[in-house]
Amino acid sequence: MAEKFDHLEEHLEKFVENIRQLGIIVSDFQPSSQAGLNQKLNFIVTGLQDIDKCRQQLHDITVPLEVFEYIDQGRNPQLYTKECLERALAKNEQVKGKIDTMKKFKSLLIQELSKVFPEDMAKYRSIRGEDHPPS
Amino acid sequence: MKITSARHPDSAWVEGKMENFTALFGAQADPPPPPTALGFGPGKPPPPPPPPPGGGAGTAPPPTVVTAPPGADKSAAGCGPFYLMRELPGSTELTGSTNLITHYNLEHDYNKFCGKKVKEKLSNFLPDLPGMIDLPGSHDNSSLRSLIEKPPILGGSFNPITGTMLAGFRLHTGPLPEQCRLMHIQPPKKKNKHKHKQSRTQDPVPPETPSDSDHKKKKKKKEEDPERKRKKKEKKKKKNRHSPDHPSMGSSQASSSSSLR
Repeated sequence: MAEKFDHLEEHLEKFVENIRQLGIIVSDFQPSSQAGLNQKLNFIVTGLQDIDKCRQQLHDITVPLEVFEYIDQGRNPQLYTKECLERALAKNEQVKGKIDTMKKFKSLLIQELSKVFPEDMAKYRSIRGEDHPPS
Repeated sequence: MKITSARHPDSAWVEGKMENFTALFGAQADPPPPPTALGFGPGKPPPPPPPPPGGGAGTAPPPTVVTAPPGADKSAAGCGPFYLMRELPGSTELTGSTNLITHYNLEHDYNKFCGKKVKEKLSNFLPDLPGMIDLPGSHDNSSLRSLIEKPPILGGSFNPITGTMLAGFRLHTGPLPEQCRLMHIQPPKKKNKHKHKQSRTQDPVPPETPSDSDHKKKKKKKEEDPERKRKKKEKKKKKNRHSPDHPSMGSSQASSSSSLR
């Protein structure tokens, strides 16, 4: 799994480096650097071909759209991961609290109902397969 | 690689989901019967089921035998006075009562991202990327969103540039104008404040902080001092030459004075 990303990362790094070098050549162009410029242009084409080949290996990868918003705003995309984890944990705790409360409510309800309707609740327990009321 | 949206702001999606929901639970979506129908209520007993077609009048079945309504589970059949009973969710089912971060072995990632402060800027994530990447993409129209919304028109494949095509890439000699030199602009790297503070503390702190103008004056004085000293020395030498104490001058002056006398 990680190899796919390493491969893509490697190609992207090479591509960025080529673009940087091309920028340097172009920023102060001399007639003697025409051959280097031509070579860099072809490197860029091959770099794009390599990146395009990686696409086939990554067709099953999904990227949340919000990550792009972070990048567009010049923010660290790791902040998105952080916020996702924090939100997941908070929601997890919230749901756990609800489940625990509902369990308590259920046990109290059964306890109270058993006092008023002992026979019916005995039947209920036998249907549910609960011999003893849940504490 | 696909791009997914975690949020679903479209109301059409919600409506679609709701339709699916009603399709799935349509039979059970009827309003629940009043609590007295459960058989626990102190008031009215549950309504007797309709008499069988061939049966005699007034032969009601015992209350424990309840036929399951069409919406209830199959397990509800033979549930005694209870109906609408459903099977409880299995204990093996994954719910929010378990810590899902530990369940999916994400503790390491949680500690990595939430344990310490993650730096805010994009350049901290991609430190080797040239250019000013911390600026919003909308400034220079380089946002990824625009790339998704308006994808570039692409051909089938990337073909190498031939010799005749490369002739189109002949550039003018000389440097680019300054406004076009975006590649060379790098975000300013922060200096280590701690070290800076240390160097400051090492410097002797003057008891009274003089104003900047005073400081400049002092500097000027210091700069002028050697010149003044030279001038003063030269003046002194000249004075000494002309002074009567000077040995050479003394003899000549004496001679002259004597001649005058």
